[in-house]
Amino acid sequence: MVGITLEELPSWNCCGAIYNTGSDDIAGQVGPVRVLAKASQLGEKLVTLCAACYNVLKRAGARLNTPGNELERQRVLEFVDEKMERDVRVVHYLEVLKEDIGWEGVRSRVTKPLNGLKVASYYGCLMVRPKEVLSFDDPENPMVMDGLIAALGGEPVRFEFKAECCGGYLVVNRREVAEECSMRVVDNARNWGAELIVTTCPLCQYNLEIAQKRRRAEQYLPVLYFTQLLGLALGLSEEELGFEDNKLSPVGFLKGKGLL
Amino acid sequence: MKRVGVFICHCGINIAGVVKVPELRERVKSLPGVVSCIDYVYCCSDPGQRLIRETIEKEKLEGVVVACCSPSLHEATFRKATEEAGLNRYLCEIANIREQCSWVTADRDAATSKAEGIIATVVEKVRMDEPLERVKVPMKKRCLVVGAGIAGIQAALDVANAGYEVVLVEKEPSIGGHMAQLSETFPTLDCSQCILTPRTVEAGRHPKIKLFTYSEVVDVAGFVGNFRVKIRQKPRYVDIEKCTGCGICLEKCPVRVEASFDRNLTRRRAIYRLFPQAVPNKVVIDSENCRQLQGKKCGVCAKVCPADAIRYDDQERFIEEEVGAIVLATGYELFDQKRLGYYGGGAVPDVIDGLAFERILSASGPFAGEVRRPSDGKVPQRVVFVQCAGSRDSTQGVPYCSKICCMYTAKHALLYKHRVHNGEAIVCYIDVRTPGKGFEEFYRRATDEGVQYLRGKVSKIFRRGDKVVVWAADTLAGKKIEIEADMVVLATAVVPNPAGVALARKLKVALDANGFQTEAHPKLRPVETLAAGFFLAGCGQGPKDIPETVAQASAAAAKVLSMFGTTELYHEPVVAEVDAEICVGCGNCERTCAYEAVKVDPVRGKAVVQSAMCEGCGACAVSCPSGAMNLKNWTKKALARMVDA
Amino acid sequence: MNRTPEEVVREIEALSGQRVADCYQCGCCSAGCPIGTAMEPPPSKAIRLLQLGRVDEVLQSEGIWLCASCLVCGTRCPRGVDYARIAEACRLLILRTKRSVVDPDRVVPVDLDDVPQQAFIASFRKFSV
Repeated sequence: MVGITLEELPSWNCCGAIYNTGSDDIAGQVGPVRVLAKASQLGEKLVTLCAACYNVLKRAGARLNTPGNELERQRVLEFVDEKMERDVRVVHYLEVLKEDIGWEGVRSRVTKPLNGLKVASYYGCLMVRPKEVLSFDDPENPMVMDGLIAALGGEPVRFEFKAECCGGYLVVNRREVAEECSMRVVDNARNWGAELIVTTCPLCQYNLEIAQKRRRAEQYLPVLYFTQLLGLALGLSEEELGFEDNKLSPVGFLKGKGLL
Repeated sequence: MKRVGVFICHCGINIAGVVKVPELRERVKSLPGVVSCIDYVYCCSDPGQRLIRETIEKEKLEGVVVACCSPSLHEATFRKATEEAGLNRYLCEIANIREQCSWVTADRDAATSKAEGIIATVVEKVRMDEPLERVKVPMKKRCLVVGAGIAGIQAALDVANAGYEVVLVEKEPSIGGHMAQLSETFPTLDCSQCILTPRTVEAGRHPKIKLFTYSEVVDVAGFVGNFRVKIRQKPRYVDIEKCTGCGICLEKCPVRVEASFDRNLTRRRAIYRLFPQAVPNKVVIDSENCRQLQGKKCGVCAKVCPADAIRYDDQERFIEEEVGAIVLATGYELFDQKRLGYYGGGAVPDVIDGLAFERILSASGPFAGEVRRPSDGKVPQRVVFVQCAGSRDSTQGVPYCSKICCMYTAKHALLYKHRVHNGEAIVCYIDVRTPGKGFEEFYRRATDEGVQYLRGKVSKIFRRGDKVVVWAADTLAGKKIEIEADMVVLATAVVPNPAGVALARKLKVALDANGFQTEAHPKLRPVETLAAGFFLAGCGQGPKDIPETVAQASAAAAKVLSMFGTTELYHEPVVAEVDAEICVGCGNCERTCAYEAVKVDPVRGKAVVQSAMCEGCGACAVSCPSGAMNLKNWTKKALARMVDA
Repeated sequence: MNRTPEEVVREIEALSGQRVADCYQCGCCSAGCPIGTAMEPPPSKAIRLLQLGRVDEVLQSEGIWLCASCLVCGTRCPRGVDYARIAEACRLLILRTKRSVVDPDRVVPVDLDDVPQQAFIASFRKFSV
């Protein structure tokens, strides 16, 4: 659709979903490092669609290359039993869109512009923190997705909870805490006039949707994955966009806006 | 062989507590050339100096080494004593065995050996030293003051009132600096304008003060006593001699732009004056926003001006002035709110900084002194004051304490309570610091009058409807707190004015890691710099309040005056020297010299050192490929001998 | 395994790569924590307890299990202390005694099918042995 071919990593494994920070942690590094090693045998750039994968892989890679960690690097790679052929740059798909295709390139492929739809781009934690490792955007007011929204013909909404936490995995054991976190994000986006929220992380999307479903189902802001919004503007069909998997259907809203 | 005497100072236990002095004394006695070695508890004391004088005479010494503290402290003391005993002062040298030896180790044997090594090195230098005479330099008894805030005004007045001419340069169109923006001042709550304007008026009319407003210092050449200053006067587009300050043009100009003097809370015209009591009370045209100057049709101000003072063809002017001393009073700015993303990044109109709140409180401000908030002009019923917005923050702000915020925040909260009687004032703080006369009492007054203090740094500020929500903490109660406020005032950090930083860099006046000008000694030379002839006043040197600024400005003026009070200026004779026989005139030295003190004579093809400008850094000597350039008493030969010793 | 509180604090510092003495107790971490008032003790207080050597009060607290590792505290900390790492180090000390806090067999079965696998994996990796 955007003129780029991605290659699936053969026999990939889970990154672990969360980065372990313990200074003596080896086991937690094995998963992401194996992914990096497999990728290194294939190319220089590893693209992720998910903010969590992005965060974990990027941090594991940075840790591996930190001066003083040579012994740990050796031990982890022994465990992984894969050769690290080269340094792999982990990039989020948003970076591919911005750097390799460019917002002009994206704009030129849009067939169904968003007609000034007010979109709040929600980055959550994993795209921007820790800022030392994930330094591609401002940790308090990231802008990369805002650029995408503008390219798709939408109006990016400046709001103050772009990078606040949705509650993350606390939804498993402390649902009410996670819901409060998520509702604050939604309320703040609404306060600044957003009609829709996009996320870069499946868990953020789930949390923002499920919290609204439980607490304010009658009047919710639809939450799309950024690829769903991209696909919409590029003219994909309702089926291809997978809206049936959303916890809160955006279909009625989008139809009302004339976008479906 | 030159007869050298060595004096070892105990410095109480500072040296003798670590270095084994008796053992050291015996070891030093056997060094070549040393005819006498004496130790004493405090060499810098009167009896200590007498001992040195008497020993010089008795032992007929031809060189003196005092092993003691850093030469920055007592070199002058011991050289004077040496001179009094009839020996050339430059034949006395310091061996630093305190800062560079006893203070940095607890190992007594190692310290004793190192002390011996240091002394042996310096003894070798003294044996090579030649008697030198100080260089006399002439002096222009005029003073340049850069910046006309309260610091610059005070320094200028003090020097001018002593009868010397002052050149006062201000980059803004009128003088007064940030103090002119303030409403009332802590801890006495007197009106800032009321106490400032007598000074601005006096400075503006003083026969000995030559005032350049809307001007900046672009270059300084020369050296202490003999600076040549180049000043750029920006085009004002108004004939300052003809303008009467009547203000008719201010009403007729069709352009409106944000007024930076009011922290962008009001709009001014393209032709403007900073504030009603401005000195000089003359208007200025902001060329970027003037329709006429931007090539569009207008010319209204010229048409309405009854004094025919408008000059659309005005050009920038360069003026040269000769002065003997320079006072830097370049002042401060506030840390940019835009850099505090977690506090709204400057995008929330009702989150403002301290100077903006001063303008709101000011009778000449956007709401004529009524406390209203910028977004909708409503009277805020709950205001949160956030301290340490950028200060004491080594990761996202500045590492230091900005010093004045605790007090001005207490003042803000109090003045708000005075104007909005039922209003709620909440101060979020980390620590309240009140080390000043009447400060603690003032802080108590704020709490007594109902200002709520919450101990915890604010983490986030965001909007909810027309409210501003503050995420704070009460660390004393161990709780996170959410406050819904109508307005937030950030006590943003005090940072050096960027124009002052750029100027200091250009003039090679040392700056610390935060961009503040560095004094020559933190305790004993607080208004001087290591660059001779440059003095410091006000917030360019570090954050300070008005009384401290004024005191420092007067101190800087006193230093200038004591320099002007001497008949002649001397320059240290440790300067570079060319051996014209060897010099090939390659010009390396000229290119290396940071002080423009070395030039290659185009006729003779030899380097020439202008001693008065040479700071004795030695860079030219290092760069000289033929070995012709040497620093007096620090010749290559002497250095080699010192290393060997 | 009878270690003094000071030794435990040092182990937490080694595991987290953070120094508790760096904290000057401004409370910014507590103010910005999205878990809010449920976080007990709040991060700054937990660090204070560690500064005082009162490790048990931290290790037995609920707060270390409520941290979602969002890293806001560390990002805004004016002293560069990352509390999320300290909390993780505390959890590791407990988990390494083979005590799980989130038991996969006992997770509340609300919308279980719905919750993304990502959340389960993250949760179990943070909270279980």
